[in-house]
Amino acid sequence: MALVEIRNLSKSFSKGGEVIFPLKDVDLDIEQGDFVSLMGPSGTGKSTLLNLISGIDKPDQGTIVVDGVEVTKLSRGKLADWRAANLGYIFQTHNLIPVLTAYENVELPTLLLPLTSAERRRRVELALEAVGLSDRADHYPRQMSGGQEQRVGIARAIVAHPKVVVADEPTGSLDVKTSDQIQILLQRLNRELDITLVMVTHDSEVSQIASRQMVLDDGKILERDSNHSNGTSSSQHVQLTGGQ
Amino acid sequence: MFRLVSYVLKGIWRHRARTMLTVSGAAVAMFVFCFVGSVQEGLERLTSDEDAQRTLIVFQENRFCPTSSRLPEDYARRISEIPGVKDVMPVQVWTNNCRASLDIVVFNGAPPKQLQTARNLKLTSGSWSEFESRRDAAIVGRNVATRRNLKTGDQFSIGDLDVQVVGIFSSHVPAEENLIYTGLEFLQYTRGLDSAGLVTQHEVHLTGNADPDEIASSIDEALRAGPVATTTRRKGAFQTSTLSDLVDLIGFAHYLGYACVGLVLGLVATTTVMAVQDRIKEHAVLQTIGVRPARVFRIVIAESLILCLAGGFTGTLAALTILTWGGLAIGAEGVTIAFRPSIHLAMVGLLVSAVVGILAGIIPATQAARTPIVTALRQP
Repeated sequence: MALVEIRNLSKSFSKGGEVIFPLKDVDLDIEQGDFVSLMGPSGTGKSTLLNLISGIDKPDQGTIVVDGVEVTKLSRGKLADWRAANLGYIFQTHNLIPVLTAYENVELPTLLLPLTSAERRRRVELALEAVGLSDRADHYPRQMSGGQEQRVGIARAIVAHPKVVVADEPTGSLDVKTSDQIQILLQRLNRELDITLVMVTHDSEVSQIASRQMVLDDGKILERDSNHSNGTSSSQHVQLTGGQ
Repeated sequence: MFRLVSYVLKGIWRHRARTMLTVSGAAVAMFVFCFVGSVQEGLERLTSDEDAQRTLIVFQENRFCPTSSRLPEDYARRISEIPGVKDVMPVQVWTNNCRASLDIVVFNGAPPKQLQTARNLKLTSGSWSEFESRRDAAIVGRNVATRRNLKTGDQFSIGDLDVQVVGIFSSHVPAEENLIYTGLEFLQYTRGLDSAGLVTQHEVHLTGNADPDEIASSIDEALRAGPVATTTRRKGAFQTSTLSDLVDLIGFAHYLGYACVGLVLGLVATTTVMAVQDRIKEHAVLQTIGVRPARVFRIVIAESLILCLAGGFTGTLAALTILTWGGLAIGAEGVTIAFRPSIHLAMVGLLVSAVVGILAGIIPATQAARTPIVTALRQP
């Protein structure tokens, strides 16, 4: 049984009187330890799929089951509880709380869990260490660079030991050098901590750090074959979904 | 909830200027609210306590200002013969101002021995013996002493009156503390009053089971044949009638109190709405991390509550401090209303602040909790 099972997932939007379907009857399985990248042109539903997996958006139809829990059936309150315990979210623009230090930002998700203060401190310190920011714990977001902020965002996403971490364009607002550092960090987290990652990106180079590379197009989801990751082939696509 | 207290407090501190302005506005409004409440409490005490209900005031018929009421002192003997009357104290009143004033000075002249038994006055300095033995001696109520900066041993002159302060007193009846007592004869023979054998009013104390209204009628009936017709009323009714213009004004001030509450509500609600709109994305991030919408709601309510309580506490404390140390009073025609602090006033001030804080936060809190997360995350 896959960690994440998506079945017949559809989502539509109204735009200028016209109904568009970024996702149509999507099926997808993500195994524990997978590092999945989702690529595709703007408006193809990458972020929508990520938001649906995160439970911050509701599908028109279909189901998403994460580790045996059908998240599409949960209420807003229950979804929040589920996210606190099972999901980490890495934003493109970091979205750190400006009045909190790096330590307090990372600590925030642990405050929602039944942990002792000692255990909270231990997890926060480990998370900051994992992203190489132990020495910036008492810095506020305004005192950090974009790359450092993103690393704090990543530490915040992993501190609660979630089952799945989703990342929405995690390198989208960073310069090339910092982007490379973040990519390496995400790869390390996946390989060394066995964190299941689902990452949205529009950058094909960034997508190659993932173990599974998906492309969303016209409401369908396609998976590139493994050879593509070394750059030798760019045309071979395998359709995973039944949809159309 | 309490785990996120640090986040709530830091959020408030982040916008220091806005917070300070809101707290200041709320403080000023609650200051006025407490002051209005204090005046109303003073009037309530004056007209409804036991002393006001069980004591009668005999005044010259159709007269209002103490300077125009001139009753024979001898009426005291005739009143004391009426069944149900325990004691009658003739009182000569002198005031520097018959109109409404915030700095009214009222002298009551009464037989010193009777004064000690009829009024529950406690000397905080000076002595009764000197008050009894010295003709121009005066004991001064605590509030007047504070207002006029008087102490035992001082000479105090106002108008044609010139008295020696031989004591400062306190009383459980706050209005008493706005009076200056002298001997009866001293006031009767004061230049300008020419009241030998006359008094302004008679204060009638009743036996335990006597009906005040029945005895009031008996007194007026008994004195109808005398040289001056009288009107006898319960002390509370007499004071309400004497202060009728002020009572209307104080009744109107009631609405000023409500307006202050409305002002705080509007002010804090506006600030909280602005704070929420500024942080609509931040609240969405919190929910994405796993904070329940209900908790986001409580966070916003907590912010609004803290702002309101901080303003309410500051305003209430400032009002109570000034009421405690200011010795303020308003009066007319020889009757004064004391502005006094009270535990009740403090509790009402804080309770109103808390309720207003919660009410002011409801709409912005609902907005913060119910805005779709994805929509909010797309905000710049």
